[in-house]
Amino acid sequence: MRNKRDIFPVLMIFALLAVMSACAKKNVPPPPGYGGAGQEYGQMPGSGGPGMDEAKWRELGINSEAEKREFLEKAKAFENQDVYFDYDSYTLTEPAKKVLDEKVSFLKRYPKVAVSVEGHCDERGTTEYNIALGERRANAAQQYLTSSGSSNLKLTTVSYGKERPVVTGHDEASWAKNRRDHFVLNY
Amino acid sequence: MTQKSISGTAATFFIMLLAFILLGFAQSASSQVTLEISPSAIQKIPIAVPDFKYMTPGQTQLAREMSDVLSNDLNISGVFRSLDRKGFLEDPQAMGFEASQIKFEDWRRQGAAFLALCSYQIQGNSLRLDGTLVDIAGRKMVGSPKSYAGELRAWRPMVHAFADDIMMMVTGERGVFDTKIAYVQSVGNAKEIFYCDFDGNNPVQLTRDNSIALSPAWSPDQSQIAFVSYREGQPRVYGVNVPTGSRYLISGFPGMNITPAWRPGRNELAVALSKDRGQDIYLVSPTGEIIKKFGVGFGSSISVSPSWSPDGQKFAYVSNEAGNPQIYIFDVNSGQKKRLTFSGNYNTSPSWSPKGDLIAYSSGEGGGFNICIIKPDGSGNRELTSGGRNEAPRWSPDGRMIAYSSNKQGGPAIRIMYSNGTGDWQLTRQGGAQELPDWSPRRNR
Repeated sequence: MRNKRDIFPVLMIFALLAVMSACAKKNVPPPPGYGGAGQEYGQMPGSGGPGMDEAKWRELGINSEAEKREFLEKAKAFENQDVYFDYDSYTLTEPAKKVLDEKVSFLKRYPKVAVSVEGHCDERGTTEYNIALGERRANAAQQYLTSSGSSNLKLTTVSYGKERPVVTGHDEASWAKNRRDHFVLNY
Repeated sequence: MTQKSISGTAATFFIMLLAFILLGFAQSASSQVTLEISPSAIQKIPIAVPDFKYMTPGQTQLAREMSDVLSNDLNISGVFRSLDRKGFLEDPQAMGFEASQIKFEDWRRQGAAFLALCSYQIQGNSLRLDGTLVDIAGRKMVGSPKSYAGELRAWRPMVHAFADDIMMMVTGERGVFDTKIAYVQSVGNAKEIFYCDFDGNNPVQLTRDNSIALSPAWSPDQSQIAFVSYREGQPRVYGVNVPTGSRYLISGFPGMNITPAWRPGRNELAVALSKDRGQDIYLVSPTGEIIKKFGVGFGSSISVSPSWSPDGQKFAYVSNEAGNPQIYIFDVNSGQKKRLTFSGNYNTSPSWSPKGDLIAYSSGEGGGFNICIIKPDGSGNRELTSGGRNEAPRWSPDGRMIAYSSNKQGGPAIRIMYSNGTGDWQLTRQGGAQELPDWSPRRNR
């Protein structure tokens, strides 16, 4: 990997991946102007984003294109999988623990990745109590990950209470989806 | 739990009080009529508020408008009932203001116990307002005439001041007509802090952070509002100087910094923090120094939403240490805590009344939320609302009214009711969604 692309920001890698999926040929340099699309990718939540250079990849323990691809896939799955709670509860259920176990294996593999655990609540209940409840939910996941994962995890928590629902419906199905911990990676 | 009617004894008592006024009982004592009037009295005191009399020719426009504002203030007070002007016999612009010129018998027959006589003069940009309260049954003026002067554009506060004086003369306590109500307004995906006059007029946007702002709390001198904002990622407590708009960080410890409550009589706030992982209520200075950790937390329990007793020696708060959210009272001096609510399994948002005699809170059951009141000793629990989601109660500084968030008439809005559950009107009418009211203290006069 000691070539000219060392100086390219990570968005070029996204561009490259996109081009590679279009034509099977390897090492095709990105066409001019493709960086624009890359920047859009860079703004997706949790993605490496602009400023992700080779040194940072190496810091995460990622050295090849294949490893980057694997990481990005797993990171996406990591962020897309929320942990759910019962009403007015911050006890981790068995299914929640299973999800967290998967996250533990990711975090053990990539111990340098920073993770923000967001605690959320459904719309029922009090605004202020729900912030406190959301924090307890985020803490529950953080504690579980810490106690079963690597000791040098960069794990932070933030509670949004009921302020950032993922679903806006007013029924149990919607509420159940909103009582969650959401995970955002920063790398 | 639900007990909406007041006791027959109390009703009889207040009707008798009213009868004393009508019979001119108070006439002999002094020029002041001082009675403890409760908003729970079935009968409100009928008062006539004619158009204000303009003393400078041609300045007629405010005559009706000011009368409307005074009338509305007195209606909102919960003590008075303003009579319909259509029944008035006299031309307000031709009325004499001397006791000898007042047609007591006419006003009595029109049902008025009191008459508010007001006149005004406009000179350039200045306004002078004169008001006299007349005791119709007693056939005399109450106290001395009141005078107010100021800029013409500030005519509303002058009318409110006379309403305050009327309340003072009749009940012995000022009204809340110079107070403001802060609240959270949704603006797009953001939530910002606003405030308006107690009657819903003059809404002002205080924050423009395009973030989530919550939990506004007025300082005891009405000059500052503490609030919670996510503008820097974590929820932190900020302060804003209301007149100047200048902002400052109050509490920015790691973890959550929420639910600020200014301590009465001291320049200190109680806040809920999780800086030591466990949630607890702390006492902090307005610049964020920790003065004290109260130690109400219990293991991984939730501790949030402190509300001070008026003497600043106790606070009510929410804890889930018994398995679900309930209201507790913490005594700062003894360090003892006591569970207050036992009915229902979701009781939050305590608000200690300024008179100290009641604690309002919101109680959730079966998807709905209702405002309840309970005495600090745990007795007298009563539900004041029914239907919809009624949350986040906050007392008016005279303890006669409660502002709260409600969706009972469509979108979430701030509503106000009397502390006995009667009345009930919508304060915020600008559309969108409003929540989390906080009623300011009175301004010093």
